[in-house]
Amino acid sequence: MPYHEFECSKVIPERKQHAVIKGAGEDLTSCLPKGYLNTIPGTISERGCAYCGAKHVIGTPMKDVIHISHGPVGCTYDTWQTKRYISDNNNFQLKYTFATDVKEKHIVFGAEKVLKQNIIEAFKAFPEIKRMTIYQTCATALIGDDIEAVAQEVMDEMPEVDIFVCNSPGFAGPSQSGGHHKINIAWLNQKVGTLEPKITSDYVINYVGEYNIQGDQEVMLDYFHRMGIQVLSTFTGNSSYDDLRGMHRAHLNVLECARSAEYICDELRARYGIPRLDIDGFGFEALGNSLKKVGLFFGIEDRAQAIIDEETAKWKPQLDWYKERLRDKKVCLWPGGSKLWHWAHAIQAEMGVKVVSVYTKFGHQGDMEKGISRCGEGALAIDDPNELENQEAMRMLKPDVIFTGKRPGEVAKKMRVPYLNAHAYHNGPYKGFEGWVRFARDIYNAIYSPIYQLSGLDISKDEIAADKGFVTRRMLSDAGLSDEIKSSPILTEYTGKYDSVTDLRAKTYPEFERKTAASAAE
Amino acid sequence: MDDATKLEQLMDYIMKNCLWQFNSRAKDRRKQNVGVLTKTTQLLCDEPVDNPTPLDKCYWVDAVCLAEAYRERYPWLATMDKTAIKTLMQKLHERLDWLTIDGSLNEELTVQHY
Ligand code: SF4
Repeated sequence: MPYHEFECSKVIPERKQHAVIKGAGEDLTSCLPKGYLNTIPGTISERGCAYCGAKHVIGTPMKDVIHISHGPVGCTYDTWQTKRYISDNNNFQLKYTFATDVKEKHIVFGAEKVLKQNIIEAFKAFPEIKRMTIYQTCATALIGDDIEAVAQEVMDEMPEVDIFVCNSPGFAGPSQSGGHHKINIAWLNQKVGTLEPKITSDYVINYVGEYNIQGDQEVMLDYFHRMGIQVLSTFTGNSSYDDLRGMHRAHLNVLECARSAEYICDELRARYGIPRLDIDGFGFEALGNSLKKVGLFFGIEDRAQAIIDEETAKWKPQLDWYKERLRDKKVCLWPGGSKLWHWAHAIQAEMGVKVVSVYTKFGHQGDMEKGISRCGEGALAIDDPNELENQEAMRMLKPDVIFTGKRPGEVAKKMRVPYLNAHAYHNGPYKGFEGWVRFARDIYNAIYSPIYQLSGLDISKDEIAADKGFVTRRMLSDAGLSDEIKSSPILTEYTGKYDSVTDLRAKTYPEFERKTAASAAE
Repeated sequence: MDDATKLEQLMDYIMKNCLWQFNSRAKDRRKQNVGVLTKTTQLLCDEPVDNPTPLDKCYWVDAVCLAEAYRERYPWLATMDKTAIKTLMQKLHERLDWLTIDGSLNEELTVQHY
């Protein structure tokens, strides 16, 4: 096994099994790090807790819901607002967060009373909201509060409200991924099948594992609607609580982030016979194939092809403008879970960059299988890295840019390595054809930002030339390009708007005739 | 071009572009590999494909995309007769089962529940 041992982690020998370098001739039977294990004592992990994985990643993107944490206020604060999962109802779920503010006396005497009081208070404060999710935290799990019983009591007293309870305290798994799992299964067991949805199309899907980061879901919904497909629910970005209760009626589950949501797809396949189709919404080719597959499933592939042709003609020359300027730039692809495989091949094939390292904070070995398959020889793959390992990797690999979260991202910046936010994006959405160009634009802006020339100078000792300005981004990026490319009339920089999402909300779509009177009457 | 190189090219496309081979449990991976590759072979050999259930149809859509990509990228496929294509696809199937299931180092493949 081509394990890689970090100098800084020699004192923690178990870490060696969590990093590999993909050598010549290596495949998945010889090159795979350990994954989804408890963090080894002594290594300062970047992971979140299982409560965070359940609430912050999966529960909270639901838009018409009061999301309340049963525990101390810190749990809630740390899972509030840092992911930009917007919604078309004025971002209710981002603007407000709720906690029962459990204190020492509640730990001693029990916190069920304060929970009930908080639930009722929250519903009274927002009378237009009738749905709630409640999240267990470490403290209230340890004292044994029966949240289900309290929720049921409230539902009996207030029949107009519906409450979902997520029992995934911080310690319920090695990382946030444990929480993804728990909430998937809990939602399926408690809520799916409790409401019959209205079917309005012959083609009905759930769009699963999609969280509407900066509008990703709305971009993809636009494509599905243009194809005449009814998206019954999105699990969970920009979705309604009640839509997600009707997931059992879809004909197909279209799965985007398998890491966070394959469990519910697998169970829906086993229990309801709904097939699971894994797709990639990132990258022209992968997205085109994804739309085509959904189209083929319903026999409407011509509608998918029309979208692919239109969008490719519009956006490909802009993507290629950036590709010419990003060729061979070295990338560390260091996201949380799924983007290492969503992006690894597509950015190399379509933007010309080279992925020199992939890592995952909370991914499983299955994510590494996909990620390692999709990157080339010499790539360093790390599971659950710590900050010192990241620094050592950056010194060793000398990347031109890093895609990661904001905590390791800030460390990278201090080492004068530009970073892009892989979780919440810089100027997304990044999904869709236009989104992919926005991503390329952000990468370009990061790599060639003039700040990196200036930040290397120390005004206390370096000579600063007072007669020269700094080299602009364009001067840097175009220095080695041929005149033909520099003055190409076809290739252009991104021409889209600052906000590419809001207009989609007012869009109308063609009515497609339904195939049979019987299905129309459903 | 020898068979080993052909096999490597076919496998490389799957590993870089497809996701269907990476369901989380061994039992599902086996079903996916059989489902998609059987139908891909039928498509490459111009044989009829039967899709009696929604699950079959789901394998078929991945097979259609895979067969199309293979034909487009690997012109040598057009020079092979059906028996040779079937033999090559059988080897591909065995190799994929080895990489993703039987020789896999993924310790979660045999976990009982999802
Ligand atoms: S580990 Fe426990 S106490 Fe800490 S944030 Fe998570 S749920 Fe709260």
